[in-house]
Amino acid sequence: MESLHGLGTATDWVVMIVYFVGIMLFGSYFAKYNRTTTDFFFGGRRFAWWLITVSIVATGVGSHSFVKYSAKGFEHGISSTMTYMNDWFFVPFFLFGWLPIVVYTKIRSIPEYFERRFSPTVRFIATVFQLLYLIGYLGIGLLTLGKVFTPLLPAEINLLGLSIPVSLMGVIITIAVITGTYTTFGGQTAVIFTDLLQGLILLFAGFLIFLMGINYVGGLDAFWHLLPVDWRLPLADFNKPPDFNFVGIFWQDGVAGSVGFLFMNMGLIMRFMSAKSVDEGRKAAVFNVLFMLPLSAIVVGNAGWIGKALTEMVPSQLTTNVNPDEVFIAVTHIISTTGVFGFVIAALTATLLSTVDSLINAIAAVYMNDVHHPIKKLLKKKVGTAEQEAKKELGAARIASIVITGLGIIATIPFSQYPTVYEAHGYFHSTLTPPLVTAIFLGVFWRKFTPAGVLATFLGGSSLMILGARYPDILITPFAHGTPFDPVHPYTYISALYNTIVCLGVAVIITKTFHWQKVVVNKIRNYSNHDNLMKVFIAAIALSLLLVWLNLGGLYFLLFATLVMTILVSLTAQYYIHYDPAKHTDGLTAWSIHRAKEIFKGGKINEREGEIVKVNWKQRKDNHDYVNVSSGDMKKMEAEVGDLVYVCDVRKYLGGLKSFHSKLGEPHDEPGVVYISEEHKLTGQFQEGKILYVEKEM
Amino acid sequence: MPSFSHSWLPYIYLYVAGGFFFFFGMYIIHKSNSLDLRLKKNRWWRKVLYFGFFYFMIIHAILIIAAIYW
Repeated sequence: MESLHGLGTATDWVVMIVYFVGIMLFGSYFAKYNRTTTDFFFGGRRFAWWLITVSIVATGVGSHSFVKYSAKGFEHGISSTMTYMNDWFFVPFFLFGWLPIVVYTKIRSIPEYFERRFSPTVRFIATVFQLLYLIGYLGIGLLTLGKVFTPLLPAEINLLGLSIPVSLMGVIITIAVITGTYTTFGGQTAVIFTDLLQGLILLFAGFLIFLMGINYVGGLDAFWHLLPVDWRLPLADFNKPPDFNFVGIFWQDGVAGSVGFLFMNMGLIMRFMSAKSVDEGRKAAVFNVLFMLPLSAIVVGNAGWIGKALTEMVPSQLTTNVNPDEVFIAVTHIISTTGVFGFVIAALTATLLSTVDSLINAIAAVYMNDVHHPIKKLLKKKVGTAEQEAKKELGAARIASIVITGLGIIATIPFSQYPTVYEAHGYFHSTLTPPLVTAIFLGVFWRKFTPAGVLATFLGGSSLMILGARYPDILITPFAHGTPFDPVHPYTYISALYNTIVCLGVAVIITKTFHWQKVVVNKIRNYSNHDNLMKVFIAAIALSLLLVWLNLGGLYFLLFATLVMTILVSLTAQYYIHYDPAKHTDGLTAWSIHRAKEIFKGGKINEREGEIVKVNWKQRKDNHDYVNVSSGDMKKMEAEVGDLVYVCDVRKYLGGLKSFHSKLGEPHDEPGVVYISEEHKLTGQFQEGKILYVEKEM
Repeated sequence: MPSFSHSWLPYIYLYVAGGFFFFFGMYIIHKSNSLDLRLKKNRWWRKVLYFGFFYFMIIHAILIIAAIYW
């Protein structure tokens, strides 16, 4: 493979530095909209769907996308778009299952959902999985950033007579510090607004490359016919080659990946949670999957398609021996001039930073909710006034973002030992996604799913996955759909099917045997030393996990150990966890969305459809959290006292930035006027004389 | 002419297996009343969801036909 170096010219670097500084200032400007941790992490639940949609583009087209999909586009053609066009199958589950639950239960992290749905023990294990997953993902994101930037740099930089050697780690640290700064001080509002800018630049740059490329090879017709027929097909060959086949990618990306993306990607979920309402979040999700993802597929993959056309047209310009991971940069360099190349690299920077900033924000949210708050509660720390607490929380959130950025940098060290980022990412993804995805999915859609089932999924399911990775020829081959066995990277994609099946299988079997477990645990309780017996069970579980992790023993012995461990996990969970199905499913599953709404509102919901009213605002002297509109306006809105309302500046281009949520108080007699508190005015950053609108939420 | 395993087989598999998940999802959200069809906006959402499924199905079919015959 041929590697490229020093492609970035001085002009390109000026463009990039100007871009970096600009984006930092832009993000930091929005810090003023963060008055609480809700604002910091969730943008105060205020934004319009279109703002969320564009913001998601920059996050969804992740740090690996340009590099990864251009490589696959070069090697296999239009089928590089597969992963962007197979997400619709799980959209119903998301729009009418997970999204309303996440919003109405006001959960701040996925582990928090596990506590409310199951128990604190389940939350603890879910937190471990989630943090490992997110920090690892951040590490991989930073590593990719470093790998993309390093070839652009010279071997050393001369600054004021000093010669600074350029190393991968140096590049990673510099980028992490810059990204961490504006995420730390800007929070989610900064992330959303910088992503809006970055998303637009990204789409523009991607299509610019496509148009320049098409022009370079002689037009659309010439481009199409330069591509061999197999390169033009939108789906890969059914089960070969092992490194890119349809059936494996369907299960890995279309099923496990789609559910993981929609249900587990906290960065994405926080975007939807920052929408002004559930319906607005649905619009953002639908528009994103229907239109933005197919467009993004062209944006990220087209450099590879153009590259293939170039090799067919003038083989000397771009040899087939080029490192696929460098195809994006190589093609862009060939088809564009210096200034344009700098701009495109700045756009690439935009997407890379976007993924990393979302991850930092998401991990900080998990830390605050699942580590900081429980520890604070455990230590019974003295609570100050609401204002003091909000200030402290915001400070802690900012420190968490800094520490997480540091951990992300450390996490790049082990990942950099893998031959490619893709392998590191693939290994990490396939190991940690299926248990969490299964647990969330069944938790939301299956009322009977028990804590024993979810704990067995986490421990037993992941042990079976580890065994699958160690003995793929025996365990995964039956699920492989004829995919060739590659001894170096066995079943890279189709292993997702095996992993999902074992996790689902464990979850279903343990949940379905709930009554048997109950009978056994009742018998155990009759023994005088039942407490000690349970401690022996826990020790046996720990021992079995160690045996599997350290691969001590043959396959059949380890399968037996996993079976015993899974049974013991279910009995231990049954013994220790006090689970009340009625309480633990109330408003927490797709079967009780109506209850979730009632809990969210704190009373009966009013779903009569009314009008949106435009009003002038006046400030009340008190600081209570309600607004007052005239009785006539309330009638137009079909609203009642106590209904939830959304108050927003009418200027649509602000996308809901100047807005807040509140409740309706007693009506007055001044039509076209809303009375708000000082806190509302500060949260919404409203300007004198600007018109607002009031919309009933429920 | 590309082989069946590279052209129509993946397409059939995608929309049969994917369709199983999609229609199962539609069934669950109907059955759980999460998609409450008494509300006008939810009736609109149901149309959007079915539209999305057939929208991708048609796009993929057009792309395969274009790849083979254009």
